[in-house]
Amino acid sequence: MSPNAMSPLPWFDRNLLRAVEKIVPAEERAEWSRTWRAELWHMHHRTDHRVPGRKDFGIAVDLSIGLMCDALWLRTDSWSRALSGTPALCLASLVGLGLLATLLGLALNGSWRAFAVYARGPLERSALAAVLVVFVSFALATRGHIEQHSTSKGRYGLRRHSFFAAKAALVLLLACLLSTDICGPIHAVFPQTAGALQLLMFVPFALLGLRWAFADQEGRCKQCLRSLAGPARVGRPSHNLLEWNGTELACKHGHGRLNVPEMETSWCDRSRWVDLGPAWE
Amino acid sequence: MNTPRLSHSAALILKALSLGYCFGLDVMEATGLPSGTVYPALRRLERDELVESKWEPEEEATAKQRPARRYYEVTRAGKAAAMAATQRYPLLAHLVPEKRS
Repeated sequence: MSPNAMSPLPWFDRNLLRAVEKIVPAEERAEWSRTWRAELWHMHHRTDHRVPGRKDFGIAVDLSIGLMCDALWLRTDSWSRALSGTPALCLASLVGLGLLATLLGLALNGSWRAFAVYARGPLERSALAAVLVVFVSFALATRGHIEQHSTSKGRYGLRRHSFFAAKAALVLLLACLLSTDICGPIHAVFPQTAGALQLLMFVPFALLGLRWAFADQEGRCKQCLRSLAGPARVGRPSHNLLEWNGTELACKHGHGRLNVPEMETSWCDRSRWVDLGPAWE
Repeated sequence: MNTPRLSHSAALILKALSLGYCFGLDVMEATGLPSGTVYPALRRLERDELVESKWEPEEEATAKQRPARRYYEVTRAGKAAAMAATQRYPLLAHLVPEKRS
């Protein structure tokens, strides 16, 4: 005899479950539904009331809210697991920050037209400075990073380079917008000083941003471009000036692992990507 | 092993589970927390491996003419986290009454 055949749930509960279960990810729907059918059944048939002041109707409403919160939590958790560390999320976050900086600029200038007129100068100056900043950043980037890029093959290499180019472009744009916003209030009083100051601020922002872009790129899987996870210390502690030999990071999807030495002589001479092959996926 | 830092409500729920309250409705009544807090918190605790859930055997539930329930049990890591939370929030021990058998 199935539990549902014993005594069915009230009409409202059955329909609420049927409506809300659509929010729950498909792979977890059956378990969620079973859990809540049991909870609601026991709520309607319980005999012991530990909290005398709490009325049945109040608990029924509370449980209805609870099952919706539970379903929403499962949905947002599945989205966050699916998107966590993805290149799409990284680019979307940078675009979001760019939009925020643009909105701040609009708010400071009062209108879109005024902002466009004011931002033209900083954009032109920043575009010229960006060439120098990119050159310096590539010159200062670690040899290890460049070697990893030079070993890229086929569509994975193209995808990786495209992602890095998009990320670097967004970082430079963000640096420009941020420096423009900061110098906005000064521009009205001292336009010349504001122009020079904007350029002086753009350069360190862009250098820091590109340094982050390189570091972020190095900490990603070379195939799926997701952030590497599970850092594990390698070797014995206290052997290299109280440090470990190095750290190993792995791709959650089993594409490969990254060996990062603590210093050049402690393990491999530079960061090394090791492909694990399809058997590990 | 580092014990995770828990929010007040998560610590309260973990305390209730360690005192023998073992399903959602039970925890709700023991802690006085709303179900919108209890059930998502139970999911988070389970994801963080502080709690594990198992279904009551179907035969047992059918014999009592009711649907099987999902029972939650505190893991070893969860017990350590509950102990750390009780040290951090001393009043926690007084907020949840011992479960009557």
